[in-house]
Amino acid sequence: MTNKTILVCDDNEGILDMLGLILEDAGFDVIPEQNSLNIYNLIEKKQPDLVLLDLWMPVLSGDQVLKVLRQNTRTKGLPVIVISASTDGSKIAQDAGATAFIAKPFDVDDLVSKIQTHLS
Amino acid sequence: MSNINQSEFTSTHQHSNKEFELLSKALDASISGVILTDNLQPDNPIVYCNAAFERMTGYSRPEIIGHNCRFLQRDDRNQEMRFILKEAIRNGQDCCVEIRNYRKNGELFWNELYMSAIKDENGVITHFVGVQNDVTRRKKAEQELKMQQDVMEKRIEERTQILKDSEDYLSSIIQTVRESLIVLDPKFNVLSTNDHFLRTFKVNMEDTVGKHLYELGNGQWNIPKLKELLVSILPTNNPVENFEVEHDFPYIGRKLMLLNAHRIELQGHYKDRILLAIEDITDRREIERRKDDFLSIASHELKTPLTTIKGYVQVLERLVPENASDKYKSVMTKTANHIDRLNNLIAELLDVSKIQTGNIEVHKSNFNFDKMVAETVEAMELASVGPKIVIRGSIGMDYYGDESHIVQVVTNLLSNAIKYAPDSREIVIHLSLVSDYIKVSVMDAGMGISYEDQKRIFERFFRVGEIQQRYPGMGIGLYLCDQIVKNHGGTLWVDSEKGKGSTFSFTLPLNKEGNDE
Repeated sequence: MTNKTILVCDDNEGILDMLGLILEDAGFDVIPEQNSLNIYNLIEKKQPDLVLLDLWMPVLSGDQVLKVLRQNTRTKGLPVIVISASTDGSKIAQDAGATAFIAKPFDVDDLVSKIQTHLS
Repeated sequence: MSNINQSEFTSTHQHSNKEFELLSKALDASISGVILTDNLQPDNPIVYCNAAFERMTGYSRPEIIGHNCRFLQRDDRNQEMRFILKEAIRNGQDCCVEIRNYRKNGELFWNELYMSAIKDENGVITHFVGVQNDVTRRKKAEQELKMQQDVMEKRIEERTQILKDSEDYLSSIIQTVRESLIVLDPKFNVLSTNDHFLRTFKVNMEDTVGKHLYELGNGQWNIPKLKELLVSILPTNNPVENFEVEHDFPYIGRKLMLLNAHRIELQGHYKDRILLAIEDITDRREIERRKDDFLSIASHELKTPLTTIKGYVQVLERLVPENASDKYKSVMTKTANHIDRLNNLIAELLDVSKIQTGNIEVHKSNFNFDKMVAETVEAMELASVGPKIVIRGSIGMDYYGDESHIVQVVTNLLSNAIKYAPDSREIVIHLSLVSDYIKVSVMDAGMGISYEDQKRIFERFFRVGEIQQRYPGMGIGLYLCDQIVKNHGGTLWVDSEKGKGSTFSFTLPLNKEGNDE
């Protein structure tokens, strides 16, 4: 059985590194991406099983990305978990059609278990 | 002839005598004093006076005849009227004067004197007739009236001055107020404004006073929300306070205005006039918004690296070797705890800002109160190696409120108890139902709080001086708890004595259960 692939998009390099380490430890293949503009291409090319998406990103914000994904028939059902340090992040994520929301800073075990829930 | 003449003379003489006697009697019957002076003799002596003149002056005929009239004036010689009289005598003219005279007993009386000259066929003035009336009472009444008038006039002048002063005083207050004020008549015509109104809206007095409110400055006040306030709300809800109106004003741009309106209900001249106070809160709102934005951004930016640190620390915790020292493990745990504490501080800072501007979101739902407390206590015990937390009593039912906020309150009170009573062996949290309220008390055996400080510990950013040295903090925890409890309709208080521990308690009303306001 092959590993599940997770696309992680966050403009902060530190977060991206840390998430890569944690998720690989948990047995996932990770595609890290700092630039939200590249997401659509990556999804097309790499067909990830799940997306971890930050909200506050330059040029194209997480909720904007999410809205486009939800309008496209091929990505409509793709599990997208929004992770944000923004206080109103939960509401924004829900309105944009997120599968789940996790507030930063998060507990590693919670994150992994939430990912597993939405992969099955 | 002589006989005849004699007889004729006698008859004529007798006739004249008779006539003179009659005339004399008639004059004596008059109530006006009458005198006759002989102008052909030196110093114009009085040659006749009637009885009324004697009564009026108190002098008898022998004391009068032969004197010049001036004896009645005694030494009061410089009366203006006397000069008029003198001039009339010299020119042989008639005149009427009111002159001060003195009776024999020295008493003053006002004499209204009518004087007339008698001339012979050659036009020579032979006599003067003086007809006099005692007008003292009338004169006195006149004088009293005049005095009264003077007093009244003076009083009116004083009152007018007081009114003017008071008006000036009020006006200076109104002009100093840094709020726009406008007074309208019941038909919304502008009666007056203060300078601040004119300056704020860049208009002048001429184009404002007397005009209809909605016609001012190209209809810039023709605002539907303002109309609603004046037409529907004010008549039924007097006064109207803090009514917000946002509007695009032609000269000054888009502004957020806070209106206070008051309709005068007094009877009389000012009835139904409308006072409108307008405060421009555009800048204040903008500053509040920027502050909120700043805090949101700051908290987001602080949390981002914290997320990374927390993640790595959790990775490290997993990598702790089996045989690692207790010291190593303890350092790992403490690091994790302090990351959580930092995260809470950032969250609290943001909450304070939101509570102050009324922007905090409350998400109410039904939850099991006992379970919530048990879980909170468990999390607290896991996070610190402190005193044991003992739960006494129970609620035994669901509560409708914002669970995360109530958790915040319980956590805060417990962590305060742990923080300020580090030597306690146990901290008690007591749950009970009191009437239709939930009551939660957290008791510690710590240092206690002085009475003066008890009054202030719920204030924002307040820190007890000596505490700050040993236990640094921001002074927002209890402020937040207090606000959260208030938002749920309850109260939070402390019972404490210095050196004898503290009990923090809060109540929450149960009656709102299951229905959102």
